[in-house]
Amino acid sequence: MKRLGLLYLAAQNLRRKPFRSFVTIAIVGLAAGTLFSATLLIGSVDRSLEVGMERLGADLLVVPEGYQESGQAALITGAPTSFYMSRSVLDQVRATPGVDQASPQLFIESLLSVPCCTGRAQLVGYDPDTDFVITPWLNDNLNRSLEKDEVVIGSLILANKGEQVHFYGQAFNVAGVLDATGMGADESVFMKIDDAYQMAADSSIQAVEPIDVKPGQISSVLVKMAPGTNIDQLSQRIKTNVPGTMIITANELSRSVTDRLSGFTRGFIAIDAIVWVMSLLTIAAIFSMIVNERQREIGLLRAMGASRKFVFRLMLTEAVFLTAAGGLVGIFIGGAGLFIFKAVITTSLGIPYLWPPLLTFVKLTLITLLLAIATGAAASLYPAYSSSRLEPYAAIRQGE
Amino acid sequence: MKSTMSGNENMIVLKDLSKTYKVGPSTVRAVDSVDLEIPMGQMVSIVGHSGSGKTTLLSLMGGLTKPSSGRVLLDDVNIWNLSDKEMSLMRNMKIGFSFQFASLMPTLNALDNVRLPSTFGDNPEADLNRPEELLNLVGLGDRMHSYPGQLSGGEQRRVALARTLMNKPELILADEPTGDLDEETEADILETFRKINEDGVTIVIVTHSRVVASRAQRILRMTKGHLSDNEE
Repeated sequence: MKRLGLLYLAAQNLRRKPFRSFVTIAIVGLAAGTLFSATLLIGSVDRSLEVGMERLGADLLVVPEGYQESGQAALITGAPTSFYMSRSVLDQVRATPGVDQASPQLFIESLLSVPCCTGRAQLVGYDPDTDFVITPWLNDNLNRSLEKDEVVIGSLILANKGEQVHFYGQAFNVAGVLDATGMGADESVFMKIDDAYQMAADSSIQAVEPIDVKPGQISSVLVKMAPGTNIDQLSQRIKTNVPGTMIITANELSRSVTDRLSGFTRGFIAIDAIVWVMSLLTIAAIFSMIVNERQREIGLLRAMGASRKFVFRLMLTEAVFLTAAGGLVGIFIGGAGLFIFKAVITTSLGIPYLWPPLLTFVKLTLITLLLAIATGAAASLYPAYSSSRLEPYAAIRQGE
Repeated sequence: MKSTMSGNENMIVLKDLSKTYKVGPSTVRAVDSVDLEIPMGQMVSIVGHSGSGKTTLLSLMGGLTKPSSGRVLLDDVNIWNLSDKEMSLMRNMKIGFSFQFASLMPTLNALDNVRLPSTFGDNPEADLNRPEELLNLVGLGDRMHSYPGQLSGGEQRRVALARTLMNKPELILADEPTGDLDEETEADILETFRKINEDGVTIVIVTHSRVVASRAQRILRMTKGHLSDNEE
């Protein structure tokens, strides 16, 4: 037969008031869950921005005047859009001092009834001769450029490599699937710009709805700056040199997302701070109550030979048990909630989202759990201390 | 009052022991200048009216409350010179307390309640099968896994008695150990005390009961904090 351990005694004590234990777990769970899910959301947006910006590969985009917002939306969330300007813009941009590379893209919204996609997808035509976004990926992953009528698709397009997708009555072979970025690229289909023009030309015969775009039109120009160039000065120069255009910088994209998140972040900080303080006070109150209720038991334990340290550790262990359970429950529910409602949250806030790597996830889980446990320990510190200082005889008499 | 048994080793020595409490503006002397020596292996009963200071005196003997003045020596050790750890260990290894109320932990079954004192000691050779033997000794071998709420008052007292004996104490301090029990259970418990005392364990019993008190080799009377020989 084994001796009774501290953990066993603590667990047995918690069993006697299941409702109170449940309430404590629920409050800590709420605090931990809010912290976990909100931090995960913010972290995921940051990661998505990081990966998405790397995929974008450009320092800035030139779009027609009036389409800055829809251009941003397309890049961030993949909201399909189509706007056009003359290809002559490309030459003007290239001629601007400080521009190292410039490449055109053509945006076409797919039709609604495309089997590959939920809603419309964004079709992006790129110029293989000047592109610095898709071409490096093709070189790294396929070791070749795209053939005619081949496409590379974003991770959320419902097709696999080797399969065919159809747009505007034309079949395209999927040459590759891009890694997830959490941004608009995930819901985009990349094809050579000449294929896009051809698809547009044939759409009047092959498709239910024709595409109103002609060769010589482009949607945006992706720009890579020359080393040592100031992005604000370059933006200003392009705006001056190329009338009728607007500039979207990578920084602006990040800022736009950050702005959208800022209200949420402020609200989250306020709510979570209140919930943590509430948990701290509730646990402190509950454990003060427990100490009062169990004075006689504490006195008896001391009479049987329990030291002050043992009584202190017993109380602390009970608090840690409860808050660790609350932390785990909160992490599980917060994580599951975010997983289930991710689409609703990202759409309503207009933010990109990419699950963090496993290591980050594990770190965040541990930090949240430790914070929950630390809260329990801190809140029960005084009640645990005062219980350990009770004089055994007085404790036994007061408990009568 | 002073009682000296020359030539015998004393288990308990109280020297000019007092305990006072502040109750509002006045001071109550619950125990007033008590001197006492109890030799090892003696069974002593302390009688007196309610509020006479019997329980306080018992608690002072067991180190459960600190005296306002005077000294408590257990086995020649001044217990208030010990650290909390040493004092706790002394209570654990040397003393068995028996209280006047059902003193079981409600979340532990009978077996775990009896086993509880072994949790606090540091004796690696503690006989961990002893709880079962003790529950058999007090006639509750078939109720080992029952929780206090499932036991009658008498059964709970017997479990508490088994727990008192768990660490083979040299001294038992019993506060009304048979209060509110039926005669049969009272007789069982007193018989157990007698057997333990025969094995050399010192026993101090605080009681209202003449029957219980009469089982002791020595009867003391507590009156308003003063201890004297019983002269009834």
